[in-house]
Amino acid sequence: MSIRVLALIPFAVAISLALSAIVDAVGLPLFLDTTGTILATTLLGPGAGIVTGVLTSTVNSLRNPTFWPFVAIQIIVALYAWLAARRGWFRSLRTAVPAGLLLGVIASVTSTPISYFVFGCSTTGGIALTTKLGQLIGLSNLGACFFGSFLSDFGDKAVTFALVTTILHALPRRTAARFPLALRAVGRA
Amino acid sequence: MRRLHPFTLLTLAVVLPALAWILPAPWGGAGTLITAMALLLTPGASPGFGAARTAVITAAPFWFFLYLLHGVGGMVSTGLRLSTMIASFVWLVAILPPARLVEAMVAAGWPVSAAFLFSATLQAVPALRERAQRLVDAQRCRGLATRGGPLVRLRALRALALPLVLSALHDVDERTLALETRGLVAGARRTALAPPADHRGEQALRWLLVLSCAVLLVWRVA
Repeated sequence: MSIRVLALIPFAVAISLALSAIVDAVGLPLFLDTTGTILATTLLGPGAGIVTGVLTSTVNSLRNPTFWPFVAIQIIVALYAWLAARRGWFRSLRTAVPAGLLLGVIASVTSTPISYFVFGCSTTGGIALTTKLGQLIGLSNLGACFFGSFLSDFGDKAVTFALVTTILHALPRRTAARFPLALRAVGRA
Repeated sequence: MRRLHPFTLLTLAVVLPALAWILPAPWGGAGTLITAMALLLTPGASPGFGAARTAVITAAPFWFFLYLLHGVGGMVSTGLRLSTMIASFVWLVAILPPARLVEAMVAAGWPVSAAFLFSATLQAVPALRERAQRLVDAQRCRGLATRGGPLVRLRALRALALPLVLSALHDVDERTLALETRGLVAGARRTALAPPADHRGEQALRWLLVLSCAVLLVWRVA
C-alpha cells in the first residue's frame, strides 16, 4: 500500500461521515455515506475504495453498531465505482446520474436481505415508514422491505455519483496530476 | 474487566450478537441481552449507567419500528437480538480506548499500515465533522440559502460539500509528505510502547468463545 493511499483513506472515510453534517443542514433525505468510498476508488483504484468502505462501516459502527452488517454494500459500491470509472461514466453529469441510479438499484437489491433478516426492515425511520407503506399497498414483507430500501437508495446514490463527478471535475490541476486514475475517469487523460 | 486484553473484549462484543442470532428466539436473544446489559452495569468493572442509557436510547427506535412492521411477536424476537448487538458494541466502545486496540494490533504483529489507518481515521473524522460545521456556518453568514425547493437544497449541498472535499484532498498532500519524512513504509515493524498483557487463559477463552459459536451454528443448521 503506497503512502498516498495510506494518507488518503482516513480522509475519504472522514468525508463520508462528515457529509452527514451538511446533509442535516440542507435537510435532504440522503445518506451520502458512500461518497468517500466512490471518491477513493476513482482516485486510487478499487483496493483503496474497498478499504475505505470497510473502514467507513467500522468507524460508523462505533457510533451506531447497526451499520456494520452493511459492510458488504460498501464493497459492492467500490467495485461498481471502479467499473464506472473505467467506462468513463464520471465524464459528465449526463452519464454519472444514470450510473448512480443503477447503483441505487444494485444497492437496494443487495441491502434488502440484510435489512430484512437482520433488522426486520427497521434500519432507519425513513426506511421503516416506506416499508410500512409497501405493506399497506399489499406487497409481501420482503417486497415491502425492498420497496423501502429502493426509495432510500435510488436518489441517494444518484446524488452521490453526481457529487463525486463534480468533485473530480473541480480538482485543481496540480492535485489532479497526482491522481492519474481520476484524470482517466473524467476523460482528461 | 478493563484489564482484559483488547482482543478478548472484541471477541466478547462479537460473540454475544452472534449467539443472539444463532440461538432460538426469543430466549436466546433474551439471554444474550441480559449478559450484555450485565457487562454494561456490573459495578466497578463496567462503563456504568451513561453507556447503558446510550444503548437504550439507540435501541428504542428499533423496537418502535419493529412493532409497527411486525407486531409484538416480531418486535420481541428481532428487538432482543438487535438490542444485544447495540449493547455489546456500546459496551466495547465505552470500555476499550482505540489507542489500546492499536497498541494490541502492533504488539500482535499487524502491519503498521493497518494500525495507522485505524488511528488516523479516528482522528480525521471529528476534525472533518467540525470543519463541515464551520463551513455550514460560514456559508450561511454569506447568505447561502439552505432551505427551499429540492434544487435550492441540492445547489446548497454542492456549495458546502465541494470546499470540504477539496480541502480534505489538500490535507492528503501534506499528510503524504509528513509520512514520507517519518519513513513510514510498507513492511516496517513498530514497537508497541505499552503492549497489553495477553495471558494464555485469555487466549484460550477467546478460542473457546469462537468454537462455541461455530458448534452452536452447526447444531442449529443441522
